[in-house]
Order: sequence, then structure tokens, then C-alpha cells
Amino acid sequence: MKKLNFDYHMHIAYSQEVEECYFTLKCLPPHTQRQQPGEIEFLVSPSRYWSRGEDSFGNQQILGRAEGGHRDFSFHVKGVVTTGIQNYEAEGTENQIAKYRYPHGLTCPGKGLLAYFRTIKPPQNHSPYEWAVALMHKLHQDFSYEKNVTDVTTTAEEAWNGKKGVCQDYAHIMITLCRLAGIPARYVTGMLIGEGYSHAWVEIFSHGLWYGLDPTNNIPVLDSHIKLGNGREASDCLINRGVIRGGGTQTQTISVKVEEICNGSDNSIANRQNGANHDKNNRISKDAGR
Amino acid sequence: MYDLELVENTKTVNGLLARYGVKFGIYKNNVFKEQLFPFDAIPRIIEKQEFDYLEKGLKQRVMALNLFLSDIYSDKKIIKDNVVPEDFIFASSGYMAECEGVKPPKGIYSHISGIDLVQGKDGCWYVLEDNLRIPSGASYPMIARDLCRRSSPHTFENHKLCDNRNYAKLLRDTMEYVNTGGHMVILTPGRYNAAYFEHSYLAEKTGAHLVASSDLRVENDMLYYVNYNAKLERVGAVYRRISDEYLDPMNFNPESLIGIPHIYDVFRKGNVALLNAPGNGIADDKGIYYFVPKMIRYYLNEEPILNNAPTYLPFYESDMKYVLEHFDQLVLKDVAEAGGYGVVFGSKMTAGQKEDFIRLLKKEPRRFIAQEVIDFLDIDVLIHSKPVPRKADLRAFVLMAEEPLVWKSGLTRFSRNPDSFIVNSSQGGGFKDTWVLSQ
Repeated sequence: MKKLNFDYHMHIAYSQEVEECYFTLKCLPPHTQRQQPGEIEFLVSPSRYWSRGEDSFGNQQILGRAEGGHRDFSFHVKGVVTTGIQNYEAEGTENQIAKYRYPHGLTCPGKGLLAYFRTIKPPQNHSPYEWAVALMHKLHQDFSYEKNVTDVTTTAEEAWNGKKGVCQDYAHIMITLCRLAGIPARYVTGMLIGEGYSHAWVEIFSHGLWYGLDPTNNIPVLDSHIKLGNGREASDCLINRGVIRGGGTQTQTISVKVEEICNGSDNSIANRQNGANHDKNNRISKDAGR
Repeated sequence: MYDLELVENTKTVNGLLARYGVKFGIYKNNVFKEQLFPFDAIPRIIEKQEFDYLEKGLKQRVMALNLFLSDIYSDKKIIKDNVVPEDFIFASSGYMAECEGVKPPKGIYSHISGIDLVQGKDGCWYVLEDNLRIPSGASYPMIARDLCRRSSPHTFENHKLCDNRNYAKLLRDTMEYVNTGGHMVILTPGRYNAAYFEHSYLAEKTGAHLVASSDLRVENDMLYYVNYNAKLERVGAVYRRISDEYLDPMNFNPESLIGIPHIYDVFRKGNVALLNAPGNGIADDKGIYYFVPKMIRYYLNEEPILNNAPTYLPFYESDMKYVLEHFDQLVLKDVAEAGGYGVVFGSKMTAGQKEDFIRLLKKEPRRFIAQEVIDFLDIDVLIHSKPVPRKADLRAFVLMAEEPLVWKSGLTRFSRNPDSFIVNSSQGGGFKDTWVLSQ
């Protein structure tokens, strides 16, 4: 169990004025059996109004709108999260599992992934959890981390065929493999201790509980990850989704700081990263014609 | 049955329909073409007793379909009780996980349902498909009746038939029933939509505002109409003629330019009614169609009044066997397609096509249903002023407010081609008025 201090900051600079913008932010850590958030502060600017709600995947969401000629948009969320209280999450209702067992959108397998799946041997007398761990190990071996070779629209199949990608691709491929194995699997967004970006990993369902597995780092999710949202694939739980009118070109900057609080003293192992980035969990789509 | 005056005025009525812009737009090879929707003056006539039977059956069917939708997006009891296999829900493109757990105002999912029926030569009616998304077509018999009454007033003195011009009132009452407080609007994607005439006509007749997405705006979890003064006026019910996918770029297809950002979130919070509710596509999936009689027994504990066309699901081994053995006498339908597309007749395939199709069928059995070809009762259509028999279907409209109500008319569509069983207007057919006799 850890107590983690986090600070998530997203900023978009526009080359031209934005006339109108709608946003949906799934950026608040939920209270689950694995983690308990506290002292959450949230700021968004500019906004004419914002309100809170919950989507159909159980994610907290902030909805809002801004208008009237701005060249910047940013939001900032920080707080403390106790993680690793349990190493699982229980599902409230059985009937919410099935949708995570079927291919959807970017996680539909093609020839490449179907063939790859057939080469992986399940462990003897395996539980779904053990099978998923074996899939994770294998994927971690056969896929390598590289930025800027994939983008937010890359399917699991395409990423697999290129053998390179980032956390979104690892997660999408692993989800596809798990579903082929009949294991319900979902996409998770969040933050990892010591990372400068937002992160993505996978939760798989085994014997009535959801367990986190991080295929990018080849580790189980225990107390170093803070979860923000989940869904069938990335687009269900984008941390930041928007529609804008105007704006020209945009430059997005994300800085994430996650550090452990030990005995009240700040034992920081965080790193902070600035500059234009290609973070996979954030997407602003341009909708100039509306 | 029909009289001369009515038939002689066909040309006049078609001329007026053209002037009023009663057109049907279709996309062919990516080019938008508007064409007239030809009206045939010989009405389809349904006796009172026969319609009473249809009415009962239609109400029952729509009640069950609404209960099904409500169940699928919440407890999913029908899956747990093994009535519908899970595959037919979650692998269907009609199921929308984004709609899980959302309860529409008054629990109604399908406010306006278009149920397509055909009558066999034995006189028996069969339901061919349920349309619970945004079925179009009511405006055509409405305006045709109106014009015919004017051009042949005597005809309507001599026949005792139910007035169908009450559709606007039924629709208005349906909207009012779920209105969460505010204006009622009809949302159109614009004049290039195939059914734009209908959108504007229904708005005029119901008194609802005809709006495009730029007229509506979400603020503080409420939906507003931006009036001529740029002031915001609350909207409580939206009869939206935009498909689910394009309705809200923040919840569905992010590329949509005709949607309203966050409108679905307003609906989620219960602050606006959307007619029909998003997510209904799962109920008019052709695979789910097979299960409608089972649904009626399951939810209502009643025997289905209306028949389905005899249908086989290759998903089940025994049905697959039957389909392969009787391939030439069946019609096969791709469950993902609509509007008369993806429909093939076993008897009309060449040996090579058949081989390819069967390979695909075996690979993706869930994707297809097979049906016995129903020998339709032909009805007369005037071609070069002579009545000739043609295939026709009937789209009946069921409106759901406190109770389901069946409109005492309907859209009769016919195929102009003597060999064709496909009557969809998107395939270039024509239409007739449907007379329901009052005694």
C-alpha cells in the first residue's frame, strides 16, 4: 500500500482564437477497492460552466463548454491517492462484464493477431489470471516500445504488424489477445509513479475480480499506478476529449508528477516532463464546420 | 372497391406531391439524387376486423420490444435466463455500451416504431422487420390522403374509413408525454437528408420547431434552443431524425459535424427526452428479430399474436443444416444491413456465388438469418392506367406514450418491378395510401 501525491496538468496552445469549445474530461481518480482518492483539487480554464457526471463505463466525467476567443485551454487536477489497498476491483454487477469479452473498435483482431495468438501456449491448469499474465510476458517479449510510430487511431492489429508502439498499443494488443482467450479485458487510463506522461494498462477479469496488468512494463498493477478511467478501448475513456470551432493548429503539453509520501515527508521519485508531446490518452478532435 | 374519380386524379395528386417536394433522396455511387416518391392512387384497404387484429398484435410486439431494450441496457435478465444468447447482443453493431445504465424519461425507448408487415396469399400477416431507430414514412400517406380528399371529395363521402390525419396529434402527444419541460423540436440533419420533406412536414403539422444542430446548444446539463434573439430557451423533447452515431460527437462518432456536443449527457441526466432513445438498434437487429416471439412470451407471458416470417438462425446447428438443405427456397439476410441491402435469394445465385456465400455463412454464421420466401398477396398498382398486380408491404406505425397506440393507416410500399420482392423506397419503389375501414 502506498500513499501517492499526484499532479496532472494539461495545456493546449492554439495558433488562432478558439470561438467555441466543448470538453469532456475523464481525469478524476475513482474510488475503488484498490485505491482511495482524497484532497482532490480541480481547475479548468477557460470555461463558461462545468458539471460532473458519470459515464456508462463507471468513469467520473467533467463536462463543460468555453466560448469567446481564447488561445489556451488547460486543466489541472491534483490530490492524494492511497493505492494498493487491495490488488483487485470487484465488479458490482455480473451483467457489466460481457461487453469486455467482445472485440470492439481498435481491438478487433486481424490475421496477424489471430496467427500470433495461436502461437502462444496457455500454461497448464491455468486460471484466467495466469493465462493473461502469460500473454503479457509473451507480448512484452515480442513488441518493443517506440514513440511516434503509431498514433491514437492505430488499431491493435496495425500496431502488432509494426511490432512497435507505446502504452496504448501494448494495452490494445493485450486486450485483443485476452478476449481471443475468452478472458474479459478492459483498457485503463491513469498515471504511474515516476512517469512524466499519462499511462495506459489493462484490467482482466478472473474469478469474479478485475486485476490490473501493465504490459508496457510487464508488471502486475499493485500500488504504483493511479487509475483514472476504463473502457472497452482507449476512446471510451480518453482523459481529454473535445470539439472546437476555430483554433488553427494546436500544441498540447502534458505534465504528470506522481510521488510517494513517506511518513509525512516528501520522498519524491517523480520526474516532470514538459514540451510538445504525443500522449496517447488525450485527443482533441477538430470540428470546424459545426 | 376504389372508384374512378380517385384513380383519374392520380396525375394531379402526383403533380401536387412534386410541388410540395414530396421526394425521396438516395445516394447512389456517392452522388445524392432526389427523386419523386411515386404515388399510386389505388389504396390498400384493410377491413376493420382485420386491422383490430393487427392493432392488438402490434401493441403487444412494441410493448415487448420496449421491455427488451430496457432490460438489455440494465439487468439483462433475458440473457441470464438463456432466452437470447449473449452473442446476439454484444457482437451486434446495434448494441451500444455507451447507453448502459441510462434510463430514458418515463422508461420509453421506442416512441415511434415502424413495423413492416406483409400479407401472404393465404391472407396471413407476417412481420418482416421492426424499425425502432428512426423509422420514416408516416408523412407520405398523411399528405397523400390530404390531397386525395381535396381532389376526390366524393370518394371520401362514400367510404367509411378512419381519418389518418390525426398522426400529427398522436406524435405531438407522444412527445408531450416525455417532455421534461420546454420546447419540443424536430431535429433534422438538413435538406440533403433522404427524409427532409418528412421532417419539415411533421414539424409544420405538430407545431414543433424544425431545427438543425446549430440551433441547439447544451449548457449546464440542459438543452437549449437558440432563438432569433440569440436567447436560450429550454428544450424538453427532441424528435431527432439524426442517427445515433452522428447525434453527439462527444459521446458517439467524434467526426460528426451534424451532432450536438453533450446532448447525450443531458439525456443521461434525465433533462431532455430523445425520441427515439439512442441504442435502439439492438432491437431491430435482424438477428434479434428471430427472438421477438420468445421475448413476448418472456416479458408479457402472452402468446404472440402476430407471426414472424419463418426464420432460421444458422448460428444454431440444426438451423444451419436446414438452411444448407433448403438453400434454394430461402432468402438470406445480412443482419448488419438495412434498407433492402444485403438481401439475397438462394434461388437467384449462380453456382459460384452460392459456393462463396455458403463459405461465408459457415465462417460467420451469426451474421445471417434465413427466411422462407413468403408468397405475398399481390395488390393492384396502376401502370399505364391499367391495374397490374405487384408486391407490396405495409409499414405500420406504433406510437408509445402512456399506452401504445397504432395509427389507423400506414405506409404501403410497392415494387414497380414485377419480379422484385424488395419494396424499400431506397430501392426506388412507390407508395400507396392505406385505408383502414371504420366499420
